[in-house]
Amino acid sequence: MEPFSEALQGTQFTGLDWGIVALYLVLSVAIGLIANRYVANMADYVVAGRGVRTALGIATLTGTELGLVTVMYSAQKGFTGGFAAFHIGLAACVVAFFVGLTGFIIVPLRRHKVLTIPEFYGKRFGRRTQILGGLVLAFGGILNMGMFLKAGSMFIVGITGLQNEAALAIVMIVLLGLVLLYTVLGGMVSVILTDYVQFVVLSFGLLLATGFAIYKMGWDHIFASMVTLKGEAGFNPLLAESSFGGDYVAWMLFIGLVNCALWPTSVARALACASEGIVRKQFMWASLSYMIRNIIPYFWGICAFVFIMESPMLTGAFFPVAGVAEGVDTLYAMPIFLGRLLPVGLIGIITAAMVAAFMSTHDSYLLCWSSVLTNDIVIPLAGERLSERTKVMITRGFVLLIGIIILLVSFLFPLREDLWDYMAVTGAIYTTGAFALLGCGLYWKRASSTGAVLALITGSSAVFGLGAVQVFVLQHLLRFSQERTEAIAGQLTGARVGLAAIVLSTAAMVLGSLLFPDTNRTQGDETWVSG
Amino acid sequence: MGFWIVLWKLVFVFGVGAFGLMALWVTVQGARDIKFLLDTLRGEH
Repeated sequence: MEPFSEALQGTQFTGLDWGIVALYLVLSVAIGLIANRYVANMADYVVAGRGVRTALGIATLTGTELGLVTVMYSAQKGFTGGFAAFHIGLAACVVAFFVGLTGFIIVPLRRHKVLTIPEFYGKRFGRRTQILGGLVLAFGGILNMGMFLKAGSMFIVGITGLQNEAALAIVMIVLLGLVLLYTVLGGMVSVILTDYVQFVVLSFGLLLATGFAIYKMGWDHIFASMVTLKGEAGFNPLLAESSFGGDYVAWMLFIGLVNCALWPTSVARALACASEGIVRKQFMWASLSYMIRNIIPYFWGICAFVFIMESPMLTGAFFPVAGVAEGVDTLYAMPIFLGRLLPVGLIGIITAAMVAAFMSTHDSYLLCWSSVLTNDIVIPLAGERLSERTKVMITRGFVLLIGIIILLVSFLFPLREDLWDYMAVTGAIYTTGAFALLGCGLYWKRASSTGAVLALITGSSAVFGLGAVQVFVLQHLLRFSQERTEAIAGQLTGARVGLAAIVLSTAAMVLGSLLFPDTNRTQGDETWVSG
Repeated sequence: MGFWIVLWKLVFVFGVGAFGLMALWVTVQGARDIKFLLDTLRGEH
């Protein structure tokens, strides 16, 4: 038997567990469909009529940002990096709390009464910047979302032991279909209501599984094993021998800021809040969620590492002797571990919680990218001719189109790095430029539209942090040898390329604004509002 | 290494404990907020 098939065989997933998952799915979709009755216009559809208060805001922010893909890439980071990976969660928590405390970017952005970030670009820098910003955002965002389905399918394979490829494809298409159905019909209202249910299932599911893992494996045993297996490199992220290092930690601080203050799905929650005070409170409280969404899955990944290293069969499957066989993808480690650890019933609840995570992220992301395409590309190009009804119809059409695109990207794009690093780099295609545009646009009066366009273009150079893009450019376009390509790619890590892209796009923004200041004719159509 | 082990233990215990309390509060208060949201969408606020 192949090592991968052998590793999958030990799961305790049963028919009862499938029943629990199915029951949860029916409940979710029913709520989503009921919400359709409350949508009257574009503001209801995209920002739920701005009627969201603190607790519901936290639930929906957590539901969106704690996706199955998050759990998967975080568990992989915990598996490969050990406790040293905790610095990513800590950085996210500190930065989100700072953003909530000061209102940095999100509060002044809300004062502009925009539905999306590129709409702010339009008001501040003009239509050209809004359309370009919308295109860059949608490109990076959809590419970023491309791995969600793949990660989701790998979780379901790992935890259920389902090996039939056709059955797996059907499960994934059904899940995506259900999300599309209630997102297309109910928009943000159904997203928020289902996010609440998903928050409840997910939060208590995460806590339950973590408690069970500690109970079965022993708190001290987990730490002691990591000391034996990885030494200081498993705890100190600044150490060169760890999977991280100083430049990686700096990159994670920026990614922490990105995730709460620049990432459109997070910002959309700030824009949907009933008041500025609620926005601040929501982000301060949600800083805990930003930390936990990483820390708990890291812990699961660490437990999986210890568990696998204590089983000769699993150690052989994941870490075979070099040249003899290919090791099982480390993304499978956590679901295989949970499948073997959790008892019948609890495993169904945890899987339902993970399916909840899968759906709550997909719905918000689908809605977010489709509203960007409608609001920031179609509407500026079409002018004022579109009715509210037509705008909602176009947004729904984009939801369906993006669903099809991510289905294709998910199964066709070759992943050459840890999933987390793929997510950080694809996100950076948009966020490095957005950092310069929002930072300067909100807080610097002289920021100009030419500087904004230059920053967006230079910021998207972050795409060269992706291994697959490096191979394509160096090996196929520039005809470098494989050894030379690998040597260059080894130096051009996602963290280094990302940090360089931030510096370049900010410099482009500042220089472009100083050299080409806006005249009245080229300026955006709104008076500058101080941050 | 001792510093890092203590730090990560504290981060984990504090983070998970605080998240558990927050999850309880959000579950209870969030249900009330849903009523407010639906009333807002009906135009009652």
